[in-house]
Amino acid sequence: MSGFILCALDKEAKLGVVDALLLAIIGIAIVFVVLIALMLLVSLVGKIFDGSEKLQAEHPEWGEKIASFKAKLMFWKKEEQEEEEVSVEETPKELAKGTCGELTLVNCEERDAAMIMAIVADSLNTPLNELRFKSIKRVEG
Amino acid sequence: MNIGEILKNLWNDSGYNLFGVGDGWKSLLMIIIALFFLYLGIKKKFEPLLLVGIAFGMLLTNLPGGEMYHPEMWTGADAVKGVNYLDVLQHGGLLDILYIGVKTGVYPCLIFMGVGAMTDFGPMLSRPSSLILGAAAQGGIYLVFILAAATGAFTGGEAASISIIAGADGPTAIFLTKTLAPQLLAPIAVAAYSYMALIPLLQPPFMKMLTTKKERMAVMTATRTVSKKEKIIFPILVTIVVSLLLPSVAPLLGCLMFGNLLKECGVTERLSDTAQNALMNIVTLFLGISVGATAVGATFLTTKTLLIIVLGLAGFVLATICGLLIGKLLYVISKGKINPLIGSAGVSAVPMAARVSNTVGLQYNKSNYLLMHAMGPNVAGVIGSAVAAGFLLAVFGA
Repeated sequence: MSGFILCALDKEAKLGVVDALLLAIIGIAIVFVVLIALMLLVSLVGKIFDGSEKLQAEHPEWGEKIASFKAKLMFWKKEEQEEEEVSVEETPKELAKGTCGELTLVNCEERDAAMIMAIVADSLNTPLNELRFKSIKRVEG
Repeated sequence: MNIGEILKNLWNDSGYNLFGVGDGWKSLLMIIIALFFLYLGIKKKFEPLLLVGIAFGMLLTNLPGGEMYHPEMWTGADAVKGVNYLDVLQHGGLLDILYIGVKTGVYPCLIFMGVGAMTDFGPMLSRPSSLILGAAAQGGIYLVFILAAATGAFTGGEAASISIIAGADGPTAIFLTKTLAPQLLAPIAVAAYSYMALIPLLQPPFMKMLTTKKERMAVMTATRTVSKKEKIIFPILVTIVVSLLLPSVAPLLGCLMFGNLLKECGVTERLSDTAQNALMNIVTLFLGISVGATAVGATFLTTKTLLIIVLGLAGFVLATICGLLIGKLLYVISKGKINPLIGSAGVSAVPMAARVSNTVGLQYNKSNYLLMHAMGPNVAGVIGSAVAAGFLLAVFGA
C-alpha cells in the first residue's frame, strides 16, 4: 500500500509535501466536481421552471387544463373546508364579558326569569352580578 | 486562631500568588492577550459578537485557581480513547460543561442553522456560475494545506485544520478542528475570526493588483428572477446531493440547508425567526466563551500558534487570489459580462466579502452596484468550504 494512503488515514502522522500535494489536487477536484454538479442541477431546475412558464404562455389551453386538473384535486379540500365551516357554526358562542355562564330556562319566559332573579337579589340583599343562577324551572301546581 | 497563618493560606491560594508558580507567567501573558482581543472587539469592532466572547473565555480560563476549564479532560492522554462526559459533568468546571457543545459539534451546526435562516441563495440561483467562483476560492485551503505540511511542524490532521482557516468560515473551522486537532482549536478559531474581521483591509490591495481598471469597471446586468419553488427545492437538493457524496459534512451542511428551508418555505416563520435570532445568539454566546476557554497559556503560547497565525493570513490571501483569477477567466469567457471583483467574494465570510467587492467596484464606477452579484459567490463559498471540510474529514477523520 502506498505511503499516500497510509498517511491519508492517520491524522496523527506527519505528511510529506508530495502526499499533501496529491491530497490537495484530489480535494480541490472534488470541490469543483460537487459545485459544478450543483451548478448544473440548479441550472436544470431553473430551466424547468422557466420552461413551464414559457409553455403556459405559448399554449394557454394547456394552462386551462392544468387549472381544471388542479380544481379537481382541490375538490376534496373544499369539502373539508365546508365541513370546517359547519363545525365552526356548531361551536358554542363566546360568553359575554362578566357573565357567570348560561342560565337554563325550563317552561319559563325570559321576562319572568329576569323578574325572579331581581326579586331573589333584592330579598338576599346581594347585587345581582354576585349571584349565579343555573336554571329556573316552572313548577306546575 | 492564628491570623497570620490564615492570611498566609489565603495568599497561597490566591491567583496572584499562583502567577509566580510554574507556568503561572504564561497565564498572566494570556490575560494581557485576552485584554488586547477585548480591545479589538469592543473598540475596533473586529467581529465583536464572537471576539468579545472568545476574549472573555480566554480571560476566565487563565485566571489561576479558577478551575473553570480542564484541558486534560479533552486533550489529555486519557481523552485520546474518548472523552469521559460523565467525568466532565461531575468534576468539570463551568467552561468544561459549555465546551461539550463544541466537542460534540453541536454549536457549529446550530450556528450554521442560523446562518442558513439568514442567507438568501437567490443571487446564486439566478446566476449558477457563481458556484464556480465559490469553488475557486477554496483553492486557498489546499494551498495552505500544502504549506502547512511543508513546514514539517504539523501532523496531517493539524495541517488540515489549519488549512480550513482559508475557508473564512468560523463554524466550519471549529467543526473540523474539534475532530482533527482539538489541541489547536483556540489559535485556529482566533485566527479565523480575526482575519474574517480584517477582510476589508486584506482583500482590496490584491483585488486592485490582480485586475485591470477595465475589468473592475465591468457592469453586470440583472439576472433572472428566481421563483419561490426553486428556493424551496435548492436546500433539499443540496442536502441530498452533497451529503450522499460526503456524509462527514452532513451535520454541518444539513443544518445550513435546514435553516434556509425554514426561511424559504414560508410556513415556519416562527422557527426561522428563532434560528436567526434567539438560538443564534444563545449559541454564539456559548461558542465564543468555550472556544476562548481552550486558549490556556501552556498550550497557546507556542511557536505553532505563531505559525498558525502566519499560515492563516496566507490562506486568506491565497483564497482571495484564487477567486480573483477564476473571476478573470469568467470575465474573458463571458466577454466582459462578469466582473472579476466578485471572485474574491468566494471566500465565504458572508456578507463582508461581498461588501468589499461592492465597495471596490464602486470606487471605479459610481453606478456599478456589485453587491447582489457578489452575494452569489459569497454563499457558494459557504457550501464550497463545507465540501472542502467534508473531504478533509473523510480523509483524516477515520
